Amino acid sequence: MSFVKKPLFLRIDGIIILLYVMLVTIGLLAVYSVEYRSTDPTFFMMNKSYMKQLIWFGYALIIGMLILMTDSKFFSSFAFLFYTAGLFILLITIFAGVQVKGSRSWLGIGSFRFQPAEVCKLFTALALSKYLSMPETNFKKLRSRLIAFVIIQLPVIFILAQKETGLALVYYCFILAMYREGLPNTILVIVFATVLLVLGTLLIEKTTIFFILTGLAFLIGIIIRDTLSKKISSWVVLVGCWLICIGFSQFAVPFAFKHVLQKHHIQRIYSMIGKEVPNEYDNTTATGDDKKENSSDYNVLQSKIAIGSGGFYGKGYLNGTSTKNQFVPEQSTDFIFCAIGEQFGFVGSFILVLLYISLLMRIVFVAERQRSSFSRIFAYCVASILFFHFAVNISMTIGLAPVIGITLPFLSYGGSSLVSFSILIFILIRLDADRQVLIR
Amino acid sequence: MDVRKNIRLRVYIAFTGICLFGLAIIVKAAMIQTFEGKKLRTIPTSESHIRFDTLIAERGSIYSEDGVLLSTSIPVFDVYLDFSVIRDTALFNHNLDSLSDCLSSIFTDKSSDQYKKELIQAYNDEEDRYHVGKKLQFNQYDLLRNLPIFRKGKGFGGIIETSKSKRSLPSPYDKIGFCAVGSFRDSNKTGLESQYDKYLSGINGRRLSQKQNLNSQWRALEGTEIEPQNGKDIVTTIDLNLQNVAEDSLMSVMKKFDCIRGTCIVMEVKTGKIKALANLGLQKDGSYLEDYNYALYPTEPGSTFKLVTLLSLLNDRKINVNDTVDAEGGVIFFKGQAMKDSHLGLHKMPIWKAFAESSNAAFAKLANNNYGDKPRKFIDHMVKLGLNNTSGIDLPKELKPKLITPDSSGWNPTSLPWMATGYVMKISPMQTCMIYNAIANKGKMMKPYLLSSVKEYGRVIKTVEPTVLAENITESGAYDQIMKCLKAVVTNGTAHDIQSPYYTIAGKTGTAKVADKGITYNDKVYQGSFVGFIPAEEPKYTICVVLRTKPNSKNYYGSLIAAPVFRKVADKIFSLNMGGWDDPLDSLSKIKSNTIPAKLATGRAYEILLNGIQKHKAPTGDYMDVLMHLTTDSISKHIAMQPAKLYKNLVPDVSGMGLKDAVYMLESGGLRVQVVGKGKVQSQSIPPGAKIIKGQNIILQLS
Repeated sequence: MSFVKKPLFLRIDGIIILLYVMLVTIGLLAVYSVEYRSTDPTFFMMNKSYMKQLIWFGYALIIGMLILMTDSKFFSSFAFLFYTAGLFILLITIFAGVQVKGSRSWLGIGSFRFQPAEVCKLFTALALSKYLSMPETNFKKLRSRLIAFVIIQLPVIFILAQKETGLALVYYCFILAMYREGLPNTILVIVFATVLLVLGTLLIEKTTIFFILTGLAFLIGIIIRDTLSKKISSWVVLVGCWLICIGFSQFAVPFAFKHVLQKHHIQRIYSMIGKEVPNEYDNTTATGDDKKENSSDYNVLQSKIAIGSGGFYGKGYLNGTSTKNQFVPEQSTDFIFCAIGEQFGFVGSFILVLLYISLLMRIVFVAERQRSSFSRIFAYCVASILFFHFAVNISMTIGLAPVIGITLPFLSYGGSSLVSFSILIFILIRLDADRQVLIR
Repeated sequence: MDVRKNIRLRVYIAFTGICLFGLAIIVKAAMIQTFEGKKLRTIPTSESHIRFDTLIAERGSIYSEDGVLLSTSIPVFDVYLDFSVIRDTALFNHNLDSLSDCLSSIFTDKSSDQYKKELIQAYNDEEDRYHVGKKLQFNQYDLLRNLPIFRKGKGFGGIIETSKSKRSLPSPYDKIGFCAVGSFRDSNKTGLESQYDKYLSGINGRRLSQKQNLNSQWRALEGTEIEPQNGKDIVTTIDLNLQNVAEDSLMSVMKKFDCIRGTCIVMEVKTGKIKALANLGLQKDGSYLEDYNYALYPTEPGSTFKLVTLLSLLNDRKINVNDTVDAEGGVIFFKGQAMKDSHLGLHKMPIWKAFAESSNAAFAKLANNNYGDKPRKFIDHMVKLGLNNTSGIDLPKELKPKLITPDSSGWNPTSLPWMATGYVMKISPMQTCMIYNAIANKGKMMKPYLLSSVKEYGRVIKTVEPTVLAENITESGAYDQIMKCLKAVVTNGTAHDIQSPYYTIAGKTGTAKVADKGITYNDKVYQGSFVGFIPAEEPKYTICVVLRTKPNSKNYYGSLIAAPVFRKVADKIFSLNMGGWDDPLDSLSKIKSNTIPAKLATGRAYEILLNGIQKHKAPTGDYMDVLMHLTTDSISKHIAMQPAKLYKNLVPDVSGMGLKDAVYMLESGGLRVQVVGKGKVQSQSIPPGAKIIKGQNIILQLS
């Protein structure tokens, strides 16, 4: 019996489903552990987050079933329509959104609230896959690249208008998928270099970064000395790069911090990367305790304390004092990883990271076996989104990345997040089930 | 081929990237959990942005048994102004004058102009903690917060207050019964405040507060509160009327005779309840203060201890009080040491007479003759009375008595005769009181106690029952003989001066030279005491008065300095039972003539009174609970009672009446009644017998 003729049920990728269910279950247990009180009369308390999350999981499974029953061509056919509708909802949200913690990114219909930016990732992924897989698209051409970039950039603009910077950044993860489809290496290099330079400037002392950059320039010069001796232009490029970097780190940033940005902006930026504001930018008169309290990054510190207190084996399930007492803000959403770290220690964290990487690997593997490029690109989009969320979220809880408020896929409490990630996974599974069919 | 290779390369890069990131996370997590973990775990909560706020439990109050507050917590306020939030110049200028006027009139410490200057200065400096007032009472704080600008509240009016709770005895009973009630300060917890701290203090609650981000305010975390459990109220056995009279009597006598310290205990015979516990000590400035609980301070008791000697002899059936004892002129030598009476010249007499005259020689001889060969037997009697231990009263830091036995290093052949007269060993006035109370209670020894009940939100949750320490300390026949002796002290003994025509007293005087910290017998400091109970036939209260004179004082006899205090307190107790007789009981004797001062009391109270003074019994009738007025027929000299409503121009005594009756009685007389509290009338703001001024307000305190 050929693959196509097998029933749909048997064509579904079991590994992805298994990993998905495992992660969601871990998430439920983690949310439960945060909210668990030994005094609770019963497990079934509808006002508790874990019960809500459980119900959301139910919804996600129902939606997943519906997706599996849908024709695989449906997603590519309606991709642009979805995308347009998504943009429209994002636009509405800017004006009609509910104000939550300073951002206007939630849309409320009755008692039901969801975050369109969370769901719109899906539509953008579909649209991007659709566009890149269209026969008339030639991704080697600048025009196509620009259009693809615009597809990403439009929702970003709307989301930025909602003041939800973290979620907007997620959309740039599609660059990874585009890289697979032939984006030049240089772009990747430039993006990484810029990120590194910005972080470096903020994290490392001014003189030190000067020497590092200069040393790096010399190193590169020695490595490519053959090229340098042949071409004058490469000299220009190297020296030009060095000059730009030095200028950026030595003059542009200090200038901006001293004359352009407000005090609280600076504090915010430094608190994001978990560092104290250097004295030269700190013109406040606060001394002693006040200063200390203002400048240390609360969330990350609390999160680190929680994870650190877990030790190697953890404190055991339902024994997490930091997490249970909600010392860590956003405990069950953005900082859910702390709950794992505290209760299951390094072993638990390691297994969780392993599960995620397995899922990502599996998705990349699945992507590569697709016949139709739409499915492949979509799979890469899914992998990119998951990777970005997973990497940034965990990094921010352990102080590797700035706190930008994005969720940990499948684990964080929140209906929009869980449902949208589930939809991504189920669409991927549906497409993969028809991997022998050419979808356009 | 190139394309395939390129794509494969890119996939590998993606794979490697993901794996590297995963690796980075794992490494970092491992670092946090191992190396950094140790440091992180030691970070105290104060440095992190989380803290526990204590929710202070309200401390319970202490009441007297008659329901008057003895100690309670009242809030005091510190008020500051934060000028950094008052930025409306027009508003400030507009209200500046009235504000300075008001502040000046509230505090009266600075002139309006001074305040104005200060306010302008503070305003220009944007001072954020301008000091307005410290430890303000609520009414002052209330005035302040309703002033212009301030009334706009914390955010705009700049007023910041912190409230503290101050443990204070509400006036006018400041410091009353202080040694019993005690104080409650961090440095000094004494008396009942300390003893029953477990009831009074309650349990503090707590709450988590958190800073959500760097610059935000502390915010209470919902659901983390553990509500404080407020402290319970305790009701003491102290009767405020008796306490007042004990302190007043003590004070007046002590002033008169320059005493340096004194204590007066009033104990209810049947229960052991301490109804009054007064302690006064002379201060350096010549005033008297409740500075130490002398009632619990063991001293050589002196002659009052002869009761124990007598009790032992009677219980062992060694003597009968009618037996004759020879005091040998008042001086008897024991092993070369002279035991002297304070008044020499006594020879052969019955033992009860020797007791009444307080002959040291006679009692030392009796003890020596009967216990000289086996002193331990005498000590055993003392131990049986609990004199080897504290009284067990519910006050902290009670000192142990100092008893010596034949095993003690200080024991010598003269110890026994001297002990029999109240020297050599030390017991506290409280213990002396306890022994006399046991006799009053026909041999049943009760433990003294101060806690009557514990209340929570006005509901009694615990009632303390009396504790019996010994069922019977007297052998058969001993009780009557002892009573004969104790009565004789007052009828024809050392304390005959305090005899009352209205009630009978049984008791014993005591006068002892004092040797204490910094005082030797040569300093001629004396301890005069009187312990007894009233009425002798059916004892209700035991009263113990112990005073210490200044050195070389001329007046030091217990009969002279302590007995009058006893008499005053006893009079008060007697008159209180007579329905509120405020004047000295002696004034009753004037009834003989034509009139007595207009007094209003219930018929029942008068009946007791008239029985007490053995006057003509008033005609019986339905007057027991009706307010009556006493009159004396000028011809027949008969005392007559008439219903009080006939005397409409005088304020009746409505205490103890139901509200309805009281209001009817008072308002029909033309007074306007205001009521505080619930229950029966406890006190009235205009004393009974005063002339009614029509339309005058009278405030009734109900219990």
